[in-house]
Amino acid sequence: MAGEERIETEVLIIGGGVTGTGIMRDLALRGLASLLIDQRDLCAGASGGNHGLLHSGGRYVSNDLHSAVECRQENLILKQVAPHCIEDTGGLFVAVDGDDPDFASRFPTLCAAAGILCEEVLPAEARRLEPLLSPRLIKAYAVPDATVDPFRLALANVAEAARVQGSLYRPHTEIVSFAITDGEITSVSCRDRLSGARLCIVARQYINATGAWAMAVARLAGCHNVRLSYSKGTLLVSHDRLTARVINRLRPPGDGDILVPGGTVSVLGTTSVRTDNLEGVRPTVAEVDRNVREGQAMLPDLATARYIRAFSRIRPLLQSSGEDDRGATRGFALVDHRQEGLNNFCTITGGKLTTFRLMAEKTCDLVAGRLGNSSPCRTATLPLDDGGACRWTEPGAAAKYWYQANDAEDMVLCECEMVPASAIDEILACAPGLDETMSLEAIALRSRAGKGPCQGSFCGIRIASYLYERGYYRDRTGLYHMRNFFNERFKGMQTVIWGRQAAQMELAEALHCGLLGLDNLEESDSDSGQAPDSGGSR
Amino acid sequence: MSATARDHWCDLAVIGSGIAGFAASIFATNRQIATAQVGNTGAIAYTTGYLDLLGSLYADPNPLVNPWQGLAHLRQEEPHHPLSRLPVELIRQAFNEFTTFVTNAGIGYTPPGDENITALTPVGTGKQTLCLPTTMAAGPLALAARRAAVIVDFKGLKGFSGRQVVANLRHCWPELCSARLTFPGMARGEIYPEVMARALEVAGTRRELADQLRQAAAGAGCVGLPAVLGMHHPDRVHQELEELSGLTIFEIPTMPPSVPGIRLREMFEQLFPQRGLTLIPQQKVDRLSFTDDGPLLELADNYGPVTIRAKAVLLATGRFLSGGLVADRNRISESLLQLPVSQPAERAEWYRQQYTDRRGHPIHRAGIEVDDSCRPVDRNGRVVDPRLFAAGVILAHQDWIRGRCGAGIAIATAFRAVAAAEQLLRR
Amino acid sequence: MTDTPTIHFKEQALALLPAGANFDACLTCGLCSSGCPASGIENMDPRKFIRMAMLGMDRELSTTPWVWCCTQCKRCQHVCPMSIDISQLVFLARSNWPRELKPAGIVRSCELIQATDSTSAMGLPPEDFVFVVADVLEEVRSSQPAFAHLQAPMDKKGAHFFVNQNSREPMNEPDEMVPLWKIFDLVGADWTYSSKGWAAENFCMFAGDETAWYEVIKKRVAAVEELGCRVWLNTECGHSYYTMWQAISRFGLEVSFELESLISYYARWIREGLLPVNSDWNRDGIKFTVQDPCMIVRKAYGESIAEDMRFVVRTLVGEENFIDMQPNRSANYCCGGGGGFLQAGMTDHRRTYGKRKFDQIAATGAAYVLTPCHNCHSQMEDIGHHYGGSYGVVHFWSLICLSLGILGENERTYLGPDLLALLA
Repeated sequence: MAGEERIETEVLIIGGGVTGTGIMRDLALRGLASLLIDQRDLCAGASGGNHGLLHSGGRYVSNDLHSAVECRQENLILKQVAPHCIEDTGGLFVAVDGDDPDFASRFPTLCAAAGILCEEVLPAEARRLEPLLSPRLIKAYAVPDATVDPFRLALANVAEAARVQGSLYRPHTEIVSFAITDGEITSVSCRDRLSGARLCIVARQYINATGAWAMAVARLAGCHNVRLSYSKGTLLVSHDRLTARVINRLRPPGDGDILVPGGTVSVLGTTSVRTDNLEGVRPTVAEVDRNVREGQAMLPDLATARYIRAFSRIRPLLQSSGEDDRGATRGFALVDHRQEGLNNFCTITGGKLTTFRLMAEKTCDLVAGRLGNSSPCRTATLPLDDGGACRWTEPGAAAKYWYQANDAEDMVLCECEMVPASAIDEILACAPGLDETMSLEAIALRSRAGKGPCQGSFCGIRIASYLYERGYYRDRTGLYHMRNFFNERFKGMQTVIWGRQAAQMELAEALHCGLLGLDNLEESDSDSGQAPDSGGSR
Repeated sequence: MSATARDHWCDLAVIGSGIAGFAASIFATNRQIATAQVGNTGAIAYTTGYLDLLGSLYADPNPLVNPWQGLAHLRQEEPHHPLSRLPVELIRQAFNEFTTFVTNAGIGYTPPGDENITALTPVGTGKQTLCLPTTMAAGPLALAARRAAVIVDFKGLKGFSGRQVVANLRHCWPELCSARLTFPGMARGEIYPEVMARALEVAGTRRELADQLRQAAAGAGCVGLPAVLGMHHPDRVHQELEELSGLTIFEIPTMPPSVPGIRLREMFEQLFPQRGLTLIPQQKVDRLSFTDDGPLLELADNYGPVTIRAKAVLLATGRFLSGGLVADRNRISESLLQLPVSQPAERAEWYRQQYTDRRGHPIHRAGIEVDDSCRPVDRNGRVVDPRLFAAGVILAHQDWIRGRCGAGIAIATAFRAVAAAEQLLRR
Repeated sequence: MTDTPTIHFKEQALALLPAGANFDACLTCGLCSSGCPASGIENMDPRKFIRMAMLGMDRELSTTPWVWCCTQCKRCQHVCPMSIDISQLVFLARSNWPRELKPAGIVRSCELIQATDSTSAMGLPPEDFVFVVADVLEEVRSSQPAFAHLQAPMDKKGAHFFVNQNSREPMNEPDEMVPLWKIFDLVGADWTYSSKGWAAENFCMFAGDETAWYEVIKKRVAAVEELGCRVWLNTECGHSYYTMWQAISRFGLEVSFELESLISYYARWIREGLLPVNSDWNRDGIKFTVQDPCMIVRKAYGESIAEDMRFVVRTLVGEENFIDMQPNRSANYCCGGGGGFLQAGMTDHRRTYGKRKFDQIAATGAAYVLTPCHNCHSQMEDIGHHYGGSYGVVHFWSLICLSLGILGENERTYLGPDLLALLA
């Protein structure tokens, strides 16, 4: 097609979640260059919409031993190879008055069966460790849970793959169609969702790592043996960090039973509702309230905490499972589409954040083998090295760098999370494929900007004005970037606007709409570049 | 030592120190009503200084040109809107009295005209307003005349970029360019509009800035800059800078915390005590009760308890930001008297899906119900207490954000409420 | 070198500040920082303080020298829509610094206060104070015939007023005590100095030394109780009032006397006709402004004392010759002399801080600043010299006596040529 850009690569990875980026790095370490594309941006799906919990495996001991063991193994590996993405908080499983005492007492045995370290902690001691725990605590066990920053993992994977093998990443690139000849995919036709431009990608191997979208993408290639069901989960982010450790409810998995610290905040979740809808997924007030209601049994303060955000994501579940999604296997599936007559295509889906590396390893074993590459997987031992470029997603990190640099000329643009102009500069310089149309969301994804109590309502304006100043924005497009950013952040706020957040929101809206008139921007071409509903990521 | 109680007596107690509260105090002192005002820092510190009456009819993206005609439409479309319930003549009178007062107090305002003015915003968009500070008046005129102009910004001032203003206005204002200056005496680090404004109260700073502006104008004759032209004598600072530089100069409001709001607040805090009003600034009323002797306000400052006994009380406590309304997980309530608040049935209905939805969010229309004399009424429409009045955006059935009518509601309903209170007090 | 222990600021804020006005209520709007003269110093400001606490940067907050540049003036709280008080956490941070790392000047002043029964930051012992007062009194009696009867009672039991005195006068400029004595004489006040606990300064609070603060106040309270005075009268000093008033509630002290400020008595005596001052002397229309000390206005009495102070000034200099600084009263800026800043040895920072005050004064165009606070007095003089101002700073007592035509020749330290010319 005339004017259509054409890119050739060894391997095309579709889907920029942790798995896709993990594959990108794994391949690179085996000497294979790849191109990673995502219809939105990194971690836009379940990878960015979860607790950020690096499971010890304890959560699955009662219903999915296989997953529990996988989690235990991967937990240890990731703590070794990616310590900078992980906070080794430790975790507690706690039961309160009214919870099933039998389940509680069976827990250590179940953990032992999965090889998971589990130590009983007396309720008084548990409350000393975590003062906000309920006084109605009856049982507590310590497990090696930790927290992990999926954004930093993804950014680091991409950065390292780019460095060692020249692999490329392209955001907002969606698949339109696969061209198939003689049992092989010969190329894929894509569309740039911002510019609308068409793009043809030619690869030797194609990997579908699109998570919840894996069934749809596989079908686009004519493959029907990926069968998923979808579970919607909703989580809440509190204004400040409530516990030092991960807190799990010691009962069969249910709503509002995990509270995970995320740097300076805590994340409470999750609900689980079967859905058929992948797009436009957003938290509902009922889900938010259910999390709060259930969570307050563990920590009564959750009833009165200030929440700054809620988000939802779709978890892909392998369709072998029965009616209860919580009981569904949390394992993953690697589908080799050779059985369906496609020799250079595979799909990896299911699984969870904690096991992403293993999922990538299995996928790469298959794909590298097909390419005649017999290099062993190195991701289980080789430390993840992002060269420091991805450090801005770590809560509190920007503030520390800024404070240490002690440069009065380096303006703090996001005051909540203290992200300075120099961080924005670095992000602009490093973000592959984004430099020309840097949206505020893309900056927020790569930093803590907009993650604090004002949720971007002030820094969105300050960063936009900075981008105009630097010449990145040169016309009214910047206004649409602002509007889209505020609309996007709002998706996560809509259901948690009460208490002080109502005051914060009123101020924000008076500013954005009452003064700046962002509600009255005429519709324009740039609207087509607006990201579809993502349910709001973290 | 026991904290000394301080007791004040007055005829009218105004609770709230936003535009509505200050407007009420203006109208009351102009009518020789013995007034006491109390209220903590409210939204006024965030205002741009623009006084809008009605800038938008709902869901219409087109700016409303004639707010007076707009009021007639509003009356048909939204008969319960606070502005729909007031005679147009009264609204005009209220605006006139308010702007005259503040103009005489040293913060000049353009008088209310027949049409809205398209005023400038810090990102280079337009905002419909009825009146604006005289320090900002030349901007819309220059825009209308497409006059060659330079938008100046300052090194170290975050959130205001001349380039941004120019980039977003150039399609309708071709001869617009930008320049960056270093503010006199503030060469390093972050600088704040408030500090710049206070520095410009000093003659030496004005002279230095005037020199810089003249150079930056590069023959353009007209310069726009962030709103920093003085804090207490903005008109004087503005005029002198124009004289010194030989330029036409206009301000553009900045994002909060911005100078125009602080100007208004500090002016009121200066002037009212001089006019004999008892002003207790930056304090929140803890309790309001109605005794046989009249309304009783109780609060505490650093020094100890304070009481205000009044004959009538006016609630101008604003919404969530100022604390007049409080939202919990289940419902919206009024914070001082637990007055009934008309509101959506459940929290899920408070906000629409899209933040910038032109129709606005139902939560903004929640508020307290009043009768035609601005007296709060209960669920049965009965007056809660004949000595209680309410004004401003705490009132139900309006969306001041989408309607660009916050100041209009504040000023007009304060006017109505004070008139009604006066009637009661004179009886 | 000793390490500074790390404070968990978020936890401490939760414990110290009321719900609804805690760090988690912050809207991050920046009104605090915009209105704080210490913003930018050491790259810090109040909003950054709150955010760093919330982000867990306890190490940085525990060690930042900024806590010695924040004068704890509470203006940030005053302008905050949520009324969040950062100054309490600043006090905590100061307390937490190892003694040897704290600014030596503040620590030394606190040590001196504890060293004698005088509680004088200049270490002036009781016997020296008694001597100086007697010596000056004798001099006045002999050299100023109109005041041959003047009294400066010492340790007079049952006197109504227990009067404190900033050490600067007996130590460096003893004649400056005389105007006050004359005022007391004129209004017929029943007053006394005390040889113990007489000094009007308390750097132990600024040093973040709570124990020492408490000990000093205990001494002073005991001194007042010992003499059985009804009113502890704080003279022209800001923080001595605040440290006493705060300590009494903070440490739960029971006292049988009242705490009052001389300013309210000036106003009262003028209103009652006991102090027949007027502005007739100001025939050249010399302009005056007034500095509201944070310690007695915003942090304590609020608007009422600010009004009293303006009433006194207007009566003294003439309505048309009084120009208020902007902003003023409870919204006034701290001058930068508070919090021990003058003693902290951080001269550059202190002057940077004082620039706003200088601009405020310069904008009034006044020839003199009146202030009833010695730290304000010293700081405003210093920044005046530093930034090239031409104003003078005067005590209320000087101007009151000047107006009454009773200001002695040795009592004119702070008068400029224009005022001196009036007396010639």
